Amino acid sequence: MPVDFECSSVMTVSISASGEASVSSGQHPVATALQQPPKKKRNLPGMPDPDAEVIALSPKTLLATNRFVCEICNKGFQRDQNLQLHRRGHNLPWKLRQRTGKEVKKRVYVCPELNCVHHDPSRALGDLTGIKKHFSRKHGEKKWKCDKCSKKYAVQSDWKAHSKTCGTREYRCDCGTLFSRRDSFITHRAFCDALAEESAKSQIDPVPNPHVEKESKAAVSAVLQVPHMEPTIPPPPPDQQGPKNTAGVLHYMPHQPPVSISVNSNKSSGTSISGGSSNSATTSTTSVFASLFASSSVAPAATTQRTSLSDLICAMSRTERCTGGVMEPPSLCLSSHGSASLFPPAHERRHFATTTPTPPAHMSATALLQKAAQMGAAASCSSFFRSLGLVRPLSPAVAGGNISEGGGDIHCRRSPAELKETSLPYAGLGLGVPQENRAGLSDLMMGSSSLFGSKPATMDFLGLGMHHNSSVGAGGLSAIMEGGIDVISGTPASRPMEITLGEGVGWRQSKTKLPATGGLVEESESMRNFK
Amino acid sequence: MSAQRENKREGDGYDMLQFTESSPLPPLTSQLNNGLLRSRAPWPDFPSSSSAKQGHLGSINSAACMEQLLAHCAYAIESNDATLAQQILWVLHNIAPPDGDSNQRLTAAFLRALVLRASSSGSSSPSFAALASTISSSSTASPTPSPLLSPVSLAAFVDLTPWHRFGFTAANSAIADATDGFPVVHIVDLTTTHCMQLPTLIDTIAARRPDDPPFIRLTVPTPYQNSPPPSLDISLDELGSRLVTFARSRNIKMDFRVVPSSPADGFNSLFQHLRIQQLVAAEALVVNCHMIPHYIPDEDTSASCCGLPPRTAFLKALRSLDPIAVVVVDEDADFTAGDVVTRLRAAFNYLWIPFDTVDTFLPRGSEQRRRFEAAVFWKIENTIACEGVQRVERLEPRSRWVQRLRAAGFRAVGFSEDTAVEVKTMLDEHSAGWGMKRDDESMVLTWKGHDVVFASAWIPSSVS
Repeated sequence: MPVDFECSSVMTVSISASGEASVSSGQHPVATALQQPPKKKRNLPGMPDPDAEVIALSPKTLLATNRFVCEICNKGFQRDQNLQLHRRGHNLPWKLRQRTGKEVKKRVYVCPELNCVHHDPSRALGDLTGIKKHFSRKHGEKKWKCDKCSKKYAVQSDWKAHSKTCGTREYRCDCGTLFSRRDSFITHRAFCDALAEESAKSQIDPVPNPHVEKESKAAVSAVLQVPHMEPTIPPPPPDQQGPKNTAGVLHYMPHQPPVSISVNSNKSSGTSISGGSSNSATTSTTSVFASLFASSSVAPAATTQRTSLSDLICAMSRTERCTGGVMEPPSLCLSSHGSASLFPPAHERRHFATTTPTPPAHMSATALLQKAAQMGAAASCSSFFRSLGLVRPLSPAVAGGNISEGGGDIHCRRSPAELKETSLPYAGLGLGVPQENRAGLSDLMMGSSSLFGSKPATMDFLGLGMHHNSSVGAGGLSAIMEGGIDVISGTPASRPMEITLGEGVGWRQSKTKLPATGGLVEESESMRNFK
Repeated sequence: MSAQRENKREGDGYDMLQFTESSPLPPLTSQLNNGLLRSRAPWPDFPSSSSAKQGHLGSINSAACMEQLLAHCAYAIESNDATLAQQILWVLHNIAPPDGDSNQRLTAAFLRALVLRASSSGSSSPSFAALASTISSSSTASPTPSPLLSPVSLAAFVDLTPWHRFGFTAANSAIADATDGFPVVHIVDLTTTHCMQLPTLIDTIAARRPDDPPFIRLTVPTPYQNSPPPSLDISLDELGSRLVTFARSRNIKMDFRVVPSSPADGFNSLFQHLRIQQLVAAEALVVNCHMIPHYIPDEDTSASCCGLPPRTAFLKALRSLDPIAVVVVDEDADFTAGDVVTRLRAAFNYLWIPFDTVDTFLPRGSEQRRRFEAAVFWKIENTIACEGVQRVERLEPRSRWVQRLRAAGFRAVGFSEDTAVEVKTMLDEHSAGWGMKRDDESMVLTWKGHDVVFASAWIPSSVS
């Protein structure tokens, strides 16, 4: 064992077998170790050899690194012995300490911090490296910072060890989940079944403890609340707390958790299934969207609509058959298809259903028909809304056909898999729009297509609106367009949004903390182009 | 008809063209009219919203355009112009697919909310009225709960972004500071996150006081109607038992109780319970309000508690309990405007943030992302499509809450340097767009320089 000869102060304490310590020198008060009740804490080192020599080093010594410097090359060493070996290479006089014939006396090291547990010779650490690391970790400055998570370390080797695993694994729950952040781990840990199981297990065989026994008579919960595992129980809450308030207090038995395990697993499997299907729905919607804009001339667009209409019908009737629902007149399904595509795929749709009045799941199609009939004829606009899918199943119907939309819609909502099927024909969208506007709508669709083709999207879009202004026959719309153009051509106005143009990716790459007024947007745009 | 519409618009003083103004700073009045004026803290490092807005309108500005169209649409719906509304909806629908980029998804969500509103508003137009009657015939009041989450999934969900963690970190640190030395600490957790903050709070307290761990009494209100998603798949009681077990593993004794109460009446029944509790026990009371104050009805609703507007009554009741600390964390925006167009603009100019951030931490098409966006949709729909007591998303800006808390007899205590460091460290774990700014009385979470969430800690002022 290498020994540091440069100890700034040496305090020799011999510990007798009885545990009584006698101090031979040194100004530090030494507690009589074993008079305290024995404590067991996880991180404590084993009891040092009673015969060991107890060394107290000054903080300066403990924090010093490479104190032994070679006068030739300035290389530093932590130990004189190592410097001596190094000097040999320079052909300098060197001297290694000879081992005495007698076995070296075991030395243990105490921490100079008065309040530290390792200040007590009975808790001394067994080697010099250990006490140095301890002192740096607990009482030293943390000057090593991890670049990834900003965690700071006082000991370089700790920092190195952390850097290797940072972001990959830091905290592991008994359930097997890994966490890189302590907060995440703590929160998970608290609610994880693993902890509940563990503590339930520990409850099975409680350590008899007279103190605990007594308390348990006062309050039923006491047994459960006092940790049995650790004899170092914190003092119980003041007396005022005890008997007076226990009446209304909820006490928890740790035997509940096993029940919840099964519940959880059921739930989670359910959600993951729906997740999968909603993904596929998303993709299908996107592709159809693309194809819609691909057909940019008026006539072909109309054809597309017609063909997709028949597709729709097929798809819908298939759906109906599958679900065993009432077979509806095919033409009625249009609007519900429109809804499926306008609407976000299954997932959002489901959410939507949560905030809107949801008819009882078991409401029959007949009931829905009756309900819709009660509503009477709706105004012309309702069909448009329906085409957007925003009217819930119970909405009134313009044509009788729409009534069935409700039924179809319910099926959609019930089963995301079906939605995937029905959401395909995006082109069906325009069909819900009132007749007299059809020409204008085609124009609109054209407009949209060039909108997506050209680069400054919104400008083009608005410009097109101008061109078709006269033919559209929708005065209000053109008015909007004009307003919109003003927006674009006008000088900057109060809008916080443009900052959002940058994608998150750009941000991460730039490492910019704050939006630099000019640079950020430039950067975002370059990202955009890149994409 | 078109001309008529134009006149009406001008007559209303509704400034449709506010974004076309060429003056370097938009007139204050127009901002006031739009309810967008927010008090800006004088942090010089951050370009104020208006100056940031200035420079870039020359670039592609689809978000501004979409906002404009949405506002037009909302206006058309409000003025029962079904034809115009339909046309704008159609346009918006084409330019904003719900699976598009963040602005398109944001717009699609508003679009949907607007249609919901059109179909449910009690406007006089026969077309909308018919739709409205349909909707109101079934119970809009009780939305089906969105997919339920296990506590572990919810923990992972909340952990994705600093949106909640910012408040958690700041509040935990402030609460640990405030309760230091008290043998019995009573924590009332008013939150929308189903106790997700508590494990770290318990852990913080336990770590801070290894030698004299306090006894913690924990009180939470029951889940209430119209609470935002996501919800838990286990009861609060069961959640509480896990927390007690966890606290025990951290050497802390804890009581957990659930008190039926809701923000609808300013947590009236909870306060009654706490008053009785105060009579029987001496304990240090801490009230943690996380994202929940804005669910208490504001002056706009006719609701009142004890003859006072609910928010005033809530803070007054809070003050009367003489807590040793109150932490208020909430979203920093103003959704209180009475007219939907102003509210829409305010919401659009705030809720782009979650849509913008989501790309940095969740891949498209993931289940968690769906859940995350669903939570934002819920807010949008509630803000736009609901009215009266149904409209519970009534955010108030930080300045307004500061005003309210002062008026109720509280004094801001600010956050310690350590807390600020902790928050910064936490933010460093997330995307670089997140930031934090701090003044004497509060901390604000920012995204790309825009205020997102504020956190503030309060104590009763000596003169109440």
